Amino acid sequence: MIDEVQKVVISLPATAEYVDIVRLNLYGVASKMGFSYEEIEDMKVAISEACNNSVLYAYRDSDGMMEVTFEIIGDALSITVIDEGESFDSWGAGERQGLHDKNLNEVQIGGLGFYLMQALMDEVSVENEAGKGTKVVMTRRLMKSEEKV
Amino acid sequence: MNTNKNEKFTATSQVENGTCTVYLRGELDLSVAPDFRQVMEPLALNEKQDLVINLKDLKYIDSTGIGILLSILKTRHGMEAGFLVKEVPEQIQKLFDMTGIAKFFAAQENSQ
Repeated sequence: MIDEVQKVVISLPATAEYVDIVRLNLYGVASKMGFSYEEIEDMKVAISEACNNSVLYAYRDSDGMMEVTFEIIGDALSITVIDEGESFDSWGAGERQGLHDKNLNEVQIGGLGFYLMQALMDEVSVENEAGKGTKVVMTRRLMKSEEKV
Repeated sequence: MNTNKNEKFTATSQVENGTCTVYLRGELDLSVAPDFRQVMEPLALNEKQDLVINLKDLKYIDSTGIGILLSILKTRHGMEAGFLVKEVPEQIQKLFDMTGIAKFFAAQENSQ
C-alpha cells in the first residue's frame, strides 16, 4: 500500500502571540489522526519550542513569518517549522541536555527547549544556516497498532 | 492582534500566615512570560514570607515558563527563603521529570 500524504500548511507572524494558534492547529490535526490526549500534549510542547525558537531568534530587527506544515504520512505526523530569519545564536547557548546531572548552582536557564523537543518526539532534525533561516522537522508515530490497515 | 492575555493566563496571589501563595491558571508560554516574570520578581525577592506556587489550574507550560520557575528557585535558594511548587498536574510533572528540574523542587520541599 502506498501511503497517501495529506498536508496542512499555515503561515503566521513569528511573534509569541501566535504560538497558541499553532497549538490549536496541532490539536485539530493530531486528534483527527487518533493521537491520545497525552501524545497531543507532548507534541504541543515540542511544536511550541520550535516556534519559540523562530520567535526569539529568527527576526531580530524586522518582523517575519514562520511557516508550519503538518504532514500525515501513514501513521506518522510530521511537523515542519520554517523561518527565514538569521538563525543567529539559535537554541540558546547550547545547553541541550537536561539538568539531571547538575546541581542548582550549575544550572543555566535556557536551552531546555531543544532538549524537550527531542525528548517528546520520535525524530527531530534541525537545519540551520546563517542568514537563510531555520528548518525544524519532527515526527511522531501513532502507537496503536489496530489503526493500521 | 490584540490577544486577551488576562484570559489566557492569570497569576493570583494570596498572603496568609506569612506565606504568599501564587495560583497559576491557564497557559504559561512565551507570550505571557515577560508579564509573569515581572509579577513574580518582587514576590521572589521578599524573604520575609515563604513563597508557594500552586499549579493546580495550569494547563500548559513551555521551556520559558520552566525557566522562570527555575530562576525563582535559584533566587529563593540564594536567600535561603522558603519556596514550594505545589499540586503539579500530571502532564506538567512529566516535563519537570524529563528536564530534570523535578529534583530541585523536591529537594526544596524536603528542606522545609
